[in-house]
Amino acid sequence: MKTISQAVNTYKSKSIKPVWCPGCGDFGVLAALDKTFKALEFKPEEIAIISGIGCSGRFSHYFNSYSLHGTHGRALPTATGLKAVRPDLHVITIGGDGDGLSIGGGHIAHAARKNVNLTYIILDNNVYGMTKGQSSPTTPLEYNTNTAPYGVYEEALNPIAMFLSYNIGYIARTTSTDMKSMHSILTEAIQHKGFSLVYIMSPCVTYSVLPYSKLKDIVKPLPENYDNSDKMSAFKYAYSDEHMYTGVFYKEDKSCLEERLQTVFDLAATSKTTSEIMTEFK
Amino acid sequence: MGKVSKPKLKSKIDFIIRVAGEGGEGVMSCGELFAKAVARTSYHVFTFITYPTEMKGGYAMTQIRIKDITIYSMGSFVDCLVAFNQEAYDKSSPYLKEGGILIYDPEFTVIDDSKNFINYPIPFSKISVDTIGRPLGKNVVVLGILSHLYGLEHPGLEKLINDRYGSKGEKVVAGNIKALKAGASAAKEMGVTTVMDLSKSEAAAEDYMFISGNQAVALGAIAAGCRFSAGYPLTPSTSIFETLSKYLPLVGGKTIQMEDEIAAISAIIGASFGGEKVITPTSGPGLQLMAEQMSLASMLELPIVIVDVQRGGPSTGLPTKTEQGDMKFAVYGSAGESPRIILAPTGVEDTFYQTIRAFNLAEKYQMPVILLTDQSIGYRKATVKMPNFAKIFMVDKYDRKTKVKIPNAEHIDLVQRQIPTEEELLDYKRYKDTKTGISPVARPGTPEGQYLATGLEHDEYGKTNQEPDNHLKMSKKRFRKLDEVSKAFEKNPIETYGDPNVRIGIMGWGSTEGAIREARYLAELEGVKIRHIHPHTISPLPERQISKFLHRLKHLIIVEENLTGQFAHFIKAKFGVKPIEVHKCEGMPFTADEIYNAIMKVARIADEDNITSS
Repeated sequence: MKTISQAVNTYKSKSIKPVWCPGCGDFGVLAALDKTFKALEFKPEEIAIISGIGCSGRFSHYFNSYSLHGTHGRALPTATGLKAVRPDLHVITIGGDGDGLSIGGGHIAHAARKNVNLTYIILDNNVYGMTKGQSSPTTPLEYNTNTAPYGVYEEALNPIAMFLSYNIGYIARTTSTDMKSMHSILTEAIQHKGFSLVYIMSPCVTYSVLPYSKLKDIVKPLPENYDNSDKMSAFKYAYSDEHMYTGVFYKEDKSCLEERLQTVFDLAATSKTTSEIMTEFK
Repeated sequence: MGKVSKPKLKSKIDFIIRVAGEGGEGVMSCGELFAKAVARTSYHVFTFITYPTEMKGGYAMTQIRIKDITIYSMGSFVDCLVAFNQEAYDKSSPYLKEGGILIYDPEFTVIDDSKNFINYPIPFSKISVDTIGRPLGKNVVVLGILSHLYGLEHPGLEKLINDRYGSKGEKVVAGNIKALKAGASAAKEMGVTTVMDLSKSEAAAEDYMFISGNQAVALGAIAAGCRFSAGYPLTPSTSIFETLSKYLPLVGGKTIQMEDEIAAISAIIGASFGGEKVITPTSGPGLQLMAEQMSLASMLELPIVIVDVQRGGPSTGLPTKTEQGDMKFAVYGSAGESPRIILAPTGVEDTFYQTIRAFNLAEKYQMPVILLTDQSIGYRKATVKMPNFAKIFMVDKYDRKTKVKIPNAEHIDLVQRQIPTEEELLDYKRYKDTKTGISPVARPGTPEGQYLATGLEHDEYGKTNQEPDNHLKMSKKRFRKLDEVSKAFEKNPIETYGDPNVRIGIMGWGSTEGAIREARYLAELEGVKIRHIHPHTISPLPERQISKFLHRLKHLIIVEENLTGQFAHFIKAKFGVKPIEVHKCEGMPFTADEIYNAIMKVARIADEDNITSS
């Protein structure tokens, strides 16, 4: 079998080129993720990228990794199963605000409870892009979309506050325009033990519910003296009406699924002898 | 598979005991303890359980059949009935044989004296109150009565009581043992005659297990090399996932409970992508939720095993009752055309081997395999011979030629998915369009084996390609695997029983096998000969075998437990036959008698036909 001796130059696929619109925020995220893999010196064959449906779903196509591009909303439980049996792999899961927060939204709480050791990247453009301009869970109230031509009649989610209440051990938000921040957050998130959630505002240029100009106006880094172990303070900044804060909102070290399953092994191994087990089937 | 060369029509011992009462009264535990005690003798035991969905209340019963030879069904009529209350008596006494033994609590039950039963009124509730201060020990009092009736020794029963109630503390165990003794002495005092003396029977051979169909799935999966299961509780499949959760960690496997069935099947798809053998157990409602992901597994060509322990439907339906209602959904439930294999085990022992077979097929052909059992198999317990563990053979990962045998007690092949050779990795095509349609799959971690598994139509490399000719080519590639499965199935031993020259044939699938077999034996005693075919592979069907079976028949009976005749419809569509359909849609399995009656009716029609034509 061939081994790769030289450092990997790029983790991006040589044969598959992105289908995103020119100017799409996702290009920046793709570059940041490639840069992060490079910095972490991962072997391509040890990376698994799992994605769902939508523009974000195509991420798995663009890397020379083991990639699974599954159905709408199910990337997270799929990745959970993979990581449960293959703790040796670096598992990255990617979804959008539709795939991750609408159809797949119910899975986040449970991946958080399991604290499965993977990184979930959600790219938020406030709209369904690939299906062409319908409302998403983060489209602002009263905004006109193709499925709400007279204005959206639902309130937008506050994802960061939701993640905080799910007790996720690593929560960060950044933007696709900030390469430095994406790189540092992705590096930290991927190395974080347990479930890490990286929320990236990644504007759509075709259905610009969240144009770059607006993003620039509302985004503000968390203050320098911000304590990311203080959950109550994290909630305060997550609920800010004035700004969309970016940075690492919350960090907590706790046991992850792989460790907990190891405990199950240990307890099982000492619980019974083979002959005791066999009498249970007599 | 379940084949006997010469049917033994007569057995010396054949007792059927039914314990009936209200859910939550201990009817199940009483029956289970009694059955377990009998299973430790050399006799064969077969149990059937039915109970209401609710935690407490409603009619519940457990039926135990004891025989000196292999048992195929729960039996039609019972030799001994224990009725805990009036409802139990009213519902169950019509099934008590003439001259059968009736044990009842006169405090709660008024019986019809005119019936020809041996009546033993024993106030078990009062005995329980007098012995341990509360009525809840009455199930163990009944166990005591049965121990007297069938000559079961108390040390063995006491150990079983200890195993079952040990976790509840010594006081509970001691109370139950007192209740057991009180029941036995009450029976003695009443002058209850011992029917048979099981204590004189030899102990069961070491290589026998007494397991349920659901346990057989879990054990079969473990034997097949499955090391990961994700599940979500759903009656009546739950005890499969419970059993896996208890025993998989002992062999280095893992189970995770997911938030719903969609997540469960997603997790096993992820784990299969990671290279593990995987399973998720569910029932009809869960199978419906899994439909989209089943198609994904077909498209990604990942091996997964799904068990559907069918229950009464539609919707919530009859969660604790049996039905063969999911066949059409299992076979056809897909948007787009996605190859899959459907297997239908016929009983507890067969379930163990069909589960192993399901893994072999999934791994070899890289597609979902659905194992269709039902509540009656899942909850039924039977004595099962352990496989010969020295006769398990691993098929090499690079092996593309070996003909895999159907697993049985004397020979078990274990298949693992093919992996790419070094040469193939130089220009790795994950979805290579091969002659068999099967293409080697790289395990993540393998350098240069990286590939994209996408639910979008893709080319041989895995790259998205929605061109017309590519879609046709790759659709054919996926379905070619199914053709290979069909070819392999045709070569299997023919699953027909009975005289090949007779003109009446009967066909069934899944759990009805035992009742049909017994009905055939009963008919033979009356001089009516029929042939029986019972395919284990519902899709693809062994079509040539079935055509051959149908060829010389004049009358075909198709038996199934649903209202609309799903299997009959399937057979009619495929073979253009006009069967006589026998359906049962009551949440209860067929008895041999019901099928026997249908056979005799058809035999009379056949006779008339003969007279007319001559």
